[in-house]
Amino acid sequence: MEFFLQQFLNALALGGTYALLGLGLAVVFSVLGLINFAHGELMTLTGYGIFYALLFGVPYPLALIIGVVLATGAAILMERVAFRPVRNSSGTTMLLTSFAVSTILHILFQNLISARPKAIAVPNSLTGAVAIADMQIGVIQLLSILVTAVSLLALTLFLRRSLLGIAMRAAAEDFNVARLMGVNANLVISTAFGISGVLAGIAGILWLFQRGSVDPLMGFLPVLKAFIAVVLGGLGSLSGAVIGGFILGFIEVGLRAYLPDGVLAYRDAISLTLVILVLFFWPQGIVARREAVR
Amino acid sequence: MAVSAYVVPQAAKSAIVLGAIVAIPCLLIFALAQGPIITTTTNFLVMLTAVAALGIFSGNSGILSFGQCSFMALGAQISATLTIAPALKKSAFPLLADAIIQSHFSLPIALLITLIVVGLIALAIGLAICRLNGSSATIATLGLLIIVESLIVAAQGFTRGNQAVYGIPKMTTLPVALGLAVATLVIARIYRDSRAGLLLRATRENHAAAQSIGINVPSQRLVAWVLSAMLSGLAGAMMAHMLTVFSPKQFYFDLTFSIIVMQVVGGLASVTGSLAGTVLITVVVEILRRSENGLDLGFVQIPQIFGVTEIGLCLIIIATLYTRREGLLGFAEIDRFLPFLRPRRSDLPRDTTAVADISRKPTGILRIDAISKAYGGLLAVDKVSLELPVGQILGLIGPNGSGKTTLLGCIAGTHQPTGGRITIDDIDVTGLPAHRIAHLGIGRTFQNIRLFTHLTALENVQAALTQRWPQMGYEALTVAALHLLADLKIADLAQRDAGTLSYGQQRRLEIARALALEPRFLLLDEPAAGMNESETEDLLGILAWLVQGRGLGLLIVDHDMQLIMRLCNQIAVLNKGELIALGSAADVQQSQAVREAYLGRRHAERIVA
Repeated sequence: MEFFLQQFLNALALGGTYALLGLGLAVVFSVLGLINFAHGELMTLTGYGIFYALLFGVPYPLALIIGVVLATGAAILMERVAFRPVRNSSGTTMLLTSFAVSTILHILFQNLISARPKAIAVPNSLTGAVAIADMQIGVIQLLSILVTAVSLLALTLFLRRSLLGIAMRAAAEDFNVARLMGVNANLVISTAFGISGVLAGIAGILWLFQRGSVDPLMGFLPVLKAFIAVVLGGLGSLSGAVIGGFILGFIEVGLRAYLPDGVLAYRDAISLTLVILVLFFWPQGIVARREAVR
Repeated sequence: MAVSAYVVPQAAKSAIVLGAIVAIPCLLIFALAQGPIITTTTNFLVMLTAVAALGIFSGNSGILSFGQCSFMALGAQISATLTIAPALKKSAFPLLADAIIQSHFSLPIALLITLIVVGLIALAIGLAICRLNGSSATIATLGLLIIVESLIVAAQGFTRGNQAVYGIPKMTTLPVALGLAVATLVIARIYRDSRAGLLLRATRENHAAAQSIGINVPSQRLVAWVLSAMLSGLAGAMMAHMLTVFSPKQFYFDLTFSIIVMQVVGGLASVTGSLAGTVLITVVVEILRRSENGLDLGFVQIPQIFGVTEIGLCLIIIATLYTRREGLLGFAEIDRFLPFLRPRRSDLPRDTTAVADISRKPTGILRIDAISKAYGGLLAVDKVSLELPVGQILGLIGPNGSGKTTLLGCIAGTHQPTGGRITIDDIDVTGLPAHRIAHLGIGRTFQNIRLFTHLTALENVQAALTQRWPQMGYEALTVAALHLLADLKIADLAQRDAGTLSYGQQRRLEIARALALEPRFLLLDEPAAGMNESETEDLLGILAWLVQGRGLGLLIVDHDMQLIMRLCNQIAVLNKGELIALGSAADVQQSQAVREAYLGRRHAERIVA
């Protein structure tokens, strides 16, 4: 039972990170129809921002904030420079553009910084564990869960209560109609990228705490998995992205915890195959988006 | 009817020309040159095979795949396992079954087995992936790439894990690569204009319209997926036998990206584009690779930079996407540029006697029995019952949002009704998928015209005709298609791309396409929307001919009251999902309920008063 609870919390922590990443992807996709491959590079950028901030003696909390701000700024800049010229084109065109942007950033990181990992010290207060009942629970796990919950809550409030948030939801439903209603397209799109940058930054910090180092490819694999989580949840649906992220987290942690040793090496293959099997039965994902045929 | 092959003469000629364009220079290089250029050419041919294989699926379906490299990895793995010397195999793959370790095949046999195994694997995976649409499908193929790579790494003992497989016999010589690359290119070109290729391109152009003419979208995709995967596997095997050493990482994102760049820069939807893109990118990469280790330009020293090649590829694809989104060739094949390959009007069959016997008018009755459609708590259609015999026109009117299009969708199979029954004579068609309903005698047109934009008018109709007459050959289909186009008075536009036609011509083409399946009932969603008076007048003529000449039953949704009142034998009025009036034009005009629905109660009373 303890083992199960322990794994349950692990799954919540990992799933939460995927959910944050997936949500960032979904916010952009719902407005623009773009699947942003370069989302992972925003995570990586957060890592490097923190690394250099610490190098220059910036206090730890401020360094984290710098990291998130950097990712946010980069996300908005990315849209201005790279994605605006292909704004109204097909999903494939935008996806390829973002793939190229992602590759260019990898190579820039490699050449300008280093191909090798840069270590980032995780504060001692975070590496320990707290005892709750009879369980030892990692501080980082708890923090991840807490940060995820707060982020999701804050975003929900923003989308439901603020005027800009409501405009964003309208744009996610039907961008053209939203524009006819006087919603400022550039503002909405920039905000979407800004939000995705903040979420990528936060997810980047959580990921960093788990690994303790940053390298040019840090964000690539988690974002690939987040893509799959988003499709699992239902492409275009924000709540679907969160649900998909948590499901993927639970599948991965569950397999790691309960697979026999001999097949443990196959866990990535098994988890992704499970997801594709789900899609076989629900091709639209779990939260399907309805589209009228006229 | 006799079964005759569906072969487009242009495609066969075009395939031969493409093959020759590749073969002649490569043979010259083989005969005259020596040294590294032989290796470069062989490498080019392997890449060409991979790119053409990708194009078969992605070009014709419009779904970008990141997964073809996983089939290349499988192809390389399987073919290597079948051809490495048994002694070496025993130490490299200790967990393999004895029979496999002892086996030692020649290249042709190994390739054959590889193709079959990869094809079977692709079939299993494709059953899931081909059901997904657009970006979801692309992401799923990305998942596939990761799955296969991690499987190969994890299965150490059966594979070499993440270490290099070595000792593979070098069997991909230039002539072998040339033969296989040309064969792949020819297959890709022929497939594009084959029956299956035509249907898949139709699904790429418009999913809903493809279903409306009876195309089962996932199964058409599956055909291309398996063919493409097998040829990707072939390319992977060729690569293994060229390199003699490979590790799984070589069949991962970098290779995937290179192949995609080649196809997209050349023209995603074109086989000629595969060739053009591969040539262009190979040349660029060769130049960039040389500058990777630093370059001395005399006056300035460029230091060593990692990833110059990748950056170059990224910039090329970004430039392509910004300035020429469809790639160098767009949707065109080489035929467009070589006059002797272009179809001439005189090539089109002149004998346009009808194939179908249209003198025999259809019979039957379409019954809609208490159909409901609920979205959550909202009843979009509420127990509506209607009847439409052939030879009659039923008009469906009502204020915006009254459920007209939803009801039409329930009949056509794009919406699942939540209650009630729809029957044609005694056949229950309730809730069948759209492509099945199309085969059962219900055709439709769309509110926003949905044509296969980048297909010619002729191909638009041919695609539908092949659904009705699966065994018919190309010649006969062309005759029948031209006949239909002539019926709608657009035969002279047969070779034009549908997207270039005027609005009125597009409407006619959409109707011609719907007629190709010989429906007994035709559902027309706002056919007169956006038409001027003379176009509407034309349309009236066509609709009258459909009923009197062809004997169809029409269900027309429109806001043009004049058209509805003039044309329809019966008019049904919907309001908030309910049927509030049914009868002749005069009956409906008298109805108090109808007035209230359109004008609101107060205004309606004032008019009566």
